[in-house]
Amino acid sequence: MTTILVVEDEPEIRRFLRSSLGAEGFRVIESPNARRGAIDAGTHRPDLAIVDLALPDYDGRELIREIREWSPMPIVVLSARHQEQTKIEALDAGADDYITKPFGVGELLARVRVALRHAARSPIGQVLVLGTTKVELDKRRALRDGAEVHLTPIEFRLLGALAKHLGMVVTHRQLLAEVWGPSHVGQTHYLRIYMKQLRDKLEEDPVRPRYLVTETGVGYRLLADEA
Amino acid sequence: MIGYAWAAGAALACTLAGLAMRPRFDLVNVAMVYLFAVVLVAQRYSRGPAILATVLSVAAFDLLFVPPQGAFRIDDMQYLLTFAIMLTIGLVISRLAENVRMRAAEQAKLEAQTQTERLRSALLASVSHDLRTPLAVMCGASSSLAEGGERLSAEERQALARSVYEQAREMSERVAKLLQMTRLETGAISLERDWDSITDVAGAVLARLRGRLASHRVVLELADDLPLVRIDAALIDQALANLLENAAIHTPPGTVVRLRAWRRGQELVVSVEDYGPGLPQGDEERIFAKFEHGVAEGRPGGVGLGLAISRAIVVLHGGRAWAERAPTGGSAFRFTLPLEEQPVVPAEAAA
Repeated sequence: MTTILVVEDEPEIRRFLRSSLGAEGFRVIESPNARRGAIDAGTHRPDLAIVDLALPDYDGRELIREIREWSPMPIVVLSARHQEQTKIEALDAGADDYITKPFGVGELLARVRVALRHAARSPIGQVLVLGTTKVELDKRRALRDGAEVHLTPIEFRLLGALAKHLGMVVTHRQLLAEVWGPSHVGQTHYLRIYMKQLRDKLEEDPVRPRYLVTETGVGYRLLADEA
Repeated sequence: MIGYAWAAGAALACTLAGLAMRPRFDLVNVAMVYLFAVVLVAQRYSRGPAILATVLSVAAFDLLFVPPQGAFRIDDMQYLLTFAIMLTIGLVISRLAENVRMRAAEQAKLEAQTQTERLRSALLASVSHDLRTPLAVMCGASSSLAEGGERLSAEERQALARSVYEQAREMSERVAKLLQMTRLETGAISLERDWDSITDVAGAVLARLRGRLASHRVVLELADDLPLVRIDAALIDQALANLLENAAIHTPPGTVVRLRAWRRGQELVVSVEDYGPGLPQGDEERIFAKFEHGVAEGRPGGVGLGLAISRAIVVLHGGRAWAERAPTGGSAFRFTLPLEEQPVVPAEAAA
């Protein structure tokens, strides 16, 4: 049985998380604060953690860092609105995705499923299907309606960095560090230029992207079907 | 301090004028020139400068014009009287002027208070209407589920639950707008600027507002080579979202909403144009005020903060936001963002 740890101080929010996650067949462990959350993460070894960023004892970001020291378990963060910076820091601290309060259960379950699927997946030999476009990352080949599309090495690396976290958000910082190197994490404009190029080559309607999705102020997300 | 400088300057100017006048004019007229200066200083500044102007004037007058020139002869009763009269006039005038100034300040304060009061009552009216309606729906719908759920059909239960969900979403949007306006007004927002593409931001906004814009056809005219802008993307996202939502609310379903952007000199212009009835003449400014709703359509939803928020965000970025008649015949809501020197992206071979 898949176990989910919920670290959240508001009992009413824990209540609906417990019932809706429970109804989906997950076993739910509840922790009302970060200290308890760190202990429960260690003793129950959950498959995924949902962590509220505003906890009464210490910062949710700190808890994420602690968990990351010993576990790659997917972590989905609950954040308030207008907290782009906190969100980004949580993601850079090792969280895999976030959802903004207030949220519907449907959205949350979608995030949880993507994160769990991601944790279970082996990253080798990946083929991405973006509508009528097919990208074979390992062979560095992209086909659009059967015809080969030329992607530059950077474009492939960028797509690969996003594909590693398929369905989940990747921050600007993470993308820049992975594609251009740690000394380029401030050069957000590189991303703007290369993301546009990728969209022009891969999306049917590049100004309304369906697969290479912008998370405004935070990063990008690749939504693709896996072959 | 500046008042004293003016007092001394005025006395000096009068002395020079008096010296120039002296061969052809009477001593009385010279005294009048001094009096004129004292009145001006008293009227413009407070009591101190008025006294200084008087003292300097009488001293200079006595010293330079009253015979014997070059020496004080205050024992001459005549000029003591001149001094007394000048000083009294100076004091009376400065007192009167001070009163007038004080009253004007009070008036301004009162007006500001009235304005705040008006806003506060608008806010209350808005909060009570726009928040209490969804609250009433949530209260009613959720209590019928909680108390008599088993007597309702599955479809009815579903519908009630859905309406609680929708109203809660709506209310959360409204509360967020109220909070955001407060943040913007109190200066509690600092811009997190970074290079961004308006096309990227627009794409994200359209994806998020898909439901709210579903009744309209949104046409994008975003050129391929638009320059990048240094913006707080989360905020510009809100500014743009408010304009698009506004267009969808105020124009008939099925009509087109056009989003365009182009470069004009050192700025980027972003324009949301609709095929609605257009703005009534003279409303182009009013609609950007807080808690204003369009007149013709009553209160179509929202707290009347969308446009005010958009403008505040754009102004924070150093741009402008305004409304005008659109080439489409409807309204155009536009804003500008200042352009900076474009950043360099190294060619791929070098990367």
